[in-house]
Amino acid sequence: MSLFIVNILDGLVTGLLLFMLCSGLTLIFSMMGVLNFAHASFYMLGAYFAYQISLFAGFWVGLIVAPIIVGVMGALIERYGLRRVHQYGHVPELIFTFGLALLIEEFVQFFWGRQQVPYNPPAALDFTAFAIAGNTFPAYKVFMIFMAIGLFLVLLYILTRTRIGMTIQAALSYPETVQNLGHNVPMVFMGVFGVGTAMAGLAGVIAGPVMGTFPGMAFTLGAIVFVCIVVGGLGSLWGALVASLLIGWIQTFAASYNLRMEDLLVWLGFEKPMLMWESAWQDLWTLTLPQVGPILPYLLMVIVLVVRPQGLFGKRET
Amino acid sequence: MTASAIELRNLNKSFGLAKIIQDVNLEIKRGERHAIIGPNGAGKSTLFNLITGKYTPTTGQVFLHGQDVSGKKPFEINRMGLSRSFQITNIFHKMTVFENVRCGLLWSMGYKYSFWTMVNKQRELTRRTDEILEQINLANRRNMLAGALAYAEQRALEIGITIAGGADIIMLDEPCAGMSRSETELIVDLIRKVTEDKTLVVVEHDMGVIFDLADRISVLVYGQIIETDTPERVRASRAVQEAYLGTTLEEEAS
Amino acid sequence: MSTPSTNPLTAGTSRLIPLNHALPWIIAAVALVLLPVIFDSRSALTIMNQMAITIVFALAYNMLLGQGGMLSFGHAVYMGLGGFFSMHVMNWMSVDPWLPLPVLPIFGGLFGLLFAFLIGWFSTRRAGTTFAMISLGVGQLVASLSIIIVIFFGGEEGISGNRTEMLPFFGLDFGQQIEVYYLTAVWLLIAALGMFLYSRTPMGRLANAVRDNEERAEFLGYSQRNVRWISFCASGFFAGIAGALFAINFEILTEENLNLATSGTILLVTFLGGVGFFIGPIIGAIVFTLLQTVLSLHTDIWALYVGILFVATVMFFPFGLTGLLALHVLPWKLGKIGYLAKPYAKMIVPALALVLSAAAVLEILFHVRHAGRGENEMTIYWTTFDSHSPLPLILGIVVAVVSAYALAKLAPGLKAAWDEATTMREAGQ
Repeated sequence: MSLFIVNILDGLVTGLLLFMLCSGLTLIFSMMGVLNFAHASFYMLGAYFAYQISLFAGFWVGLIVAPIIVGVMGALIERYGLRRVHQYGHVPELIFTFGLALLIEEFVQFFWGRQQVPYNPPAALDFTAFAIAGNTFPAYKVFMIFMAIGLFLVLLYILTRTRIGMTIQAALSYPETVQNLGHNVPMVFMGVFGVGTAMAGLAGVIAGPVMGTFPGMAFTLGAIVFVCIVVGGLGSLWGALVASLLIGWIQTFAASYNLRMEDLLVWLGFEKPMLMWESAWQDLWTLTLPQVGPILPYLLMVIVLVVRPQGLFGKRET
Repeated sequence: MTASAIELRNLNKSFGLAKIIQDVNLEIKRGERHAIIGPNGAGKSTLFNLITGKYTPTTGQVFLHGQDVSGKKPFEINRMGLSRSFQITNIFHKMTVFENVRCGLLWSMGYKYSFWTMVNKQRELTRRTDEILEQINLANRRNMLAGALAYAEQRALEIGITIAGGADIIMLDEPCAGMSRSETELIVDLIRKVTEDKTLVVVEHDMGVIFDLADRISVLVYGQIIETDTPERVRASRAVQEAYLGTTLEEEAS
Repeated sequence: MSTPSTNPLTAGTSRLIPLNHALPWIIAAVALVLLPVIFDSRSALTIMNQMAITIVFALAYNMLLGQGGMLSFGHAVYMGLGGFFSMHVMNWMSVDPWLPLPVLPIFGGLFGLLFAFLIGWFSTRRAGTTFAMISLGVGQLVASLSIIIVIFFGGEEGISGNRTEMLPFFGLDFGQQIEVYYLTAVWLLIAALGMFLYSRTPMGRLANAVRDNEERAEFLGYSQRNVRWISFCASGFFAGIAGALFAINFEILTEENLNLATSGTILLVTFLGGVGFFIGPIIGAIVFTLLQTVLSLHTDIWALYVGILFVATVMFFPFGLTGLLALHVLPWKLGKIGYLAKPYAKMIVPALALVLSAAAVLEILFHVRHAGRGENEMTIYWTTFDSHSPLPLILGIVVAVVSAYALAKLAPGLKAAWDEATTMREAGQ
């Protein structure tokens, strides 16, 4: 039971982290019609920048400064890259962001190498917050939960209480209404892209010490983020939240409960082959839950798409 | 029993809370030229999209030659002999004029999804495509990219693609929108020529065109048909004048 | 320039293959025969085989992206599955050889087709972003599954085989690399011709129509989903052939043949060549393979250069290398290509200087960050110097800035020459 509670909390951390990326991605997608393939790359940049800053000025300065740098970079890329490609259509836009993701990964390797960099939680948070029957829960993860929820509340406030937020919200359900933003649409686009990427950067800053800061972190998480977006329904913020949490928990639980297919098959009444290595079904018999954990999100996506192509909460089928 | 070409029974369409089409009943006979008029936002395009399968009715039914087609997909409805044009020019911009028209012919000539015949070697297909290009006066634009045509030519091509498949019900959505007087005359002549012996349903703003072309007119106001009759009687109808002309005057005033 | 076949009066005349249509194919066939005579080293053969496989895969990929408007981030799956299956067939045949090696690509193609059929069923319902995301997810799923399903994919080590143990083909056992080259070349011709002819069938034209305007196609009696699905299957078939050729050439397949990196590379190759032209992927595959071979020999950061090239292509030349070449067709036809020679000649020096100096700056920075402690010496462009001293870096930056400035100054001249060369006024006829 205590393991269960720790897993709930761990899954919450992963889920909220995913949501920090999904929300920015959804905002950008709903406003501009671009699914930013490089979104997770900005998350990675956040982590690396914060690491570099932390070497000189400590974790807390990095926490503030790194997302700002990432956001400014994002805005500039929107202004001078994406806007240029926009005229060619959506597919080239998507290809552009894909190329950007490749390029950012190469640049990260260029500056920081292929190995993981030692980006660690700050000393002030490097202790055990509580322990439940021997299962410890680090204070840094508590901090992550509070950061993510805080960001979520700020986002909620902006979306529901400010004029620009309400327009953005309208744009989520009715893309045409983006026109109502008036003459400064390009400015708003740049702003949304900047804020969205800054959120991804912030996620990177706080996730880097826990998830590891290495060149593959963008594609590892990025693919899962897209799964969340598709499962939740393209353009749906609530869908993204539900899908993020769902996938966060699925991954956490799958990794920590060592259920074996063998037990299930025996329980179902199948006979275990005498010579396992000669059986055509050996891969099935030796399967364990932690082994299939990483592919469960993709499996979920395929199932959702077959049963409900527009995603769990999606209205638009675009 | 000779069923009507198109029959709408208690047709309703809502988007969220907004009822765009309310209890529409309409019968269009075979070979009739029928016009649908109404002020902006009356639901003409929605009605079009309901008949052609782009939208699914909220309630009610659409019959084509007596067969219920409500909820069928556009391509299924097209295969039953209904073809439509679009208000906003809807052609294949990156293909040549010739290829645009040829695409309209492929299904009706039985090519389906074939990938074992060379399309350029089909003499009959090429001949019929060129015939239609002659009809719509675009033979001299044959190998141009459709996207590079002048606006009026694109409108003509739009009609060419629509009639290419030989559908016996042709639905045209504002075929004269954005055209000059002389261009309009040409296109009306064209429409008359290519829809001979066919059922024609047309939405149009230009009253001259309507009264010239149509056998019967339906007046759609706020999603309801308030009158269906011959052009003369519609012109004379008080209800129509109040509802329809009244709003247009208001619109012009605003 | 009007050719008999584009003339409306003679289109559809019954000459089976007009010479002007067959000519490029005859030239290609002759070139494929002669290439190994000219480049006969082992490594040249390896590169040419690699090129041929990439061409088939890129052409298959472009059936989706260029002709069907579907952007896939997971097309390696169909090539990979075709390859894995071919490898198994190869291994069965070594136990009981009743088929020769040259027929193996058919098995790869059919297996690719089978999976394209299954996955296309749900992934082709929508085009655009949704299709792209599903392709990514499916790609990740299959790549991860390949680690788990050891019996088919061989786990981390992958599976390998021996191509020489199949039934001898007219006395050939394909132990020699030159034999493999000709086998690959023949299949390259077959596959390329097949894909070219496919694009000329009603289905090929409909794929274009659905790409341009899916709604219009629906109102002409065609289900957009079916058109995409069939295109997807055809593409999966040819990708599977490429996979089988890979299996024949390298005799090993691993997870790498299925993963996102491979899928991304083929997108890059195709886009670099130009998606709007049949020949685009061919040019892309040739240029990319050469670039990769040359760059990876000389620098550790070749992938960075390729990344920069890719992003620059998307931003500035979205029609790719072939598009760039195609731009010159009009001046050529007008007989005014000479107008461009002078401005091009003027720009070539600063352009080269910019590329080389920018590369030098990157190389120096990379050396500073990653060379071992005390290893300050580096060599580029046959010059050895201390990478930690500021002078080379400053020199590189100065040259880059100056040449960029010179290019900016020369640009209006090129533009003027370009306008001149593409206007009809003084044309010959």
